[in-house]
Amino acid sequence: MRTYEVFLKKPGRDEFRHAGALDAPDDAMALTYAREAYVRRHEGDELWVVDRANVVVGNPDELAVNDDKPHRHNDGALVAARRKAERESQTDTRSVADA
Amino acid sequence: MSLSPAARDHLLALADDEHMVGARHTNWIGLGPFLEEDLAFCSIAQDELGHAIALYRLILDDERPTADGSPATGERDAEADLRDQLALDAFAMMREPGDYRSCWLAEIECSEWNDSLVRHWLYDRAEELRWEALVGSGDERVAAVARRARNEERFHLTHADQFLSRIADSDTTGRIAASVERLAPIAAGVFDAADTESDAVAEGLVTTSSAELAGVWADRVRSDLARWGLSVDVDLDPAAQSARQAGRTVRSDGFDDLLADLQKVIREDPAAVW
Repeated sequence: MRTYEVFLKKPGRDEFRHAGALDAPDDAMALTYAREAYVRRHEGDELWVVDRANVVVGNPDELAVNDDKPHRHNDGALVAARRKAERESQTDTRSVADA
Repeated sequence: MSLSPAARDHLLALADDEHMVGARHTNWIGLGPFLEEDLAFCSIAQDELGHAIALYRLILDDERPTADGSPATGERDAEADLRDQLALDAFAMMREPGDYRSCWLAEIECSEWNDSLVRHWLYDRAEELRWEALVGSGDERVAAVARRARNEERFHLTHADQFLSRIADSDTTGRIAASVERLAPIAAGVFDAADTESDAVAEGLVTTSSAELAGVWADRVRSDLARWGLSVDVDLDPAAQSARQAGRTVRSDGFDDLLADLQKVIREDPAAVW
């Protein structure tokens, strides 16, 4: 038996999402089992199964935590505030000109 | 449009087959050889039960008197739906054994996985052809049910073929071959037709006779066996099994126990709904 990771994509612009995993003897049966286990209620209209042996896995030790670098956690609030202020000042100018 | 007696006979045989084989398949819930197969096999069982419900509904809709105020078409209220559901349950579960029209292949207990798997393949090989013969039915309601069932049936056959093709040549114990040998002659009884079948063909309810389908089925069964490298000498002529079933009027051994099992809930609470 091989282990497969199952990915589904919903219609529209959503990306493929991980749905789960399953065991199957080979690719063809993995698709059959994925259909019965994960797509019975039309959870997606596109399906990938990936043999876990083919997944390139990153080393956890190399995945440094970036919590001490706040500039990498920019949520855009500062930029949004500046854009808003800019917009409002332009509106003010325009309304004066219109009058 | 109402069903002729021949049409009713034909649909009832298929409906009872689907009901019994679906019920037998569900015995594997939680007991399948591995989780993925458990899910797949029980999903197939559920599909078969769904086909049975669709056909029972056609038969019962046809028998429902329209004079009692329940419209045959158009808006229906929840109460009418509930009434229909209970009537369908009663029809599916509570007939006398002699009033069922299932074939023995669908009824018999297959307590070993190899037997269940082989039955699944033999039955679905036949079912594929039986639905195909209804896709061109002159009765559009029947044709619609047949189109939907045929699409599901494709996956059932793929599943059976994938599983058997992978284990057949490594089956050193010979269990698969033994199951085929035992079940194939019984399976041919799927093509045991009601004696009204010629009328059903003549009126266009079904486009191919059972005798004709039996020949195509035998060819496909033999070609599957050859492809899987199983050399089993099988008798695929429906005559002997049809004589035992007597036009599907004689139930197999163990049917009473199966029916009693199916009736457990409805006897406890005749108004139970799911």
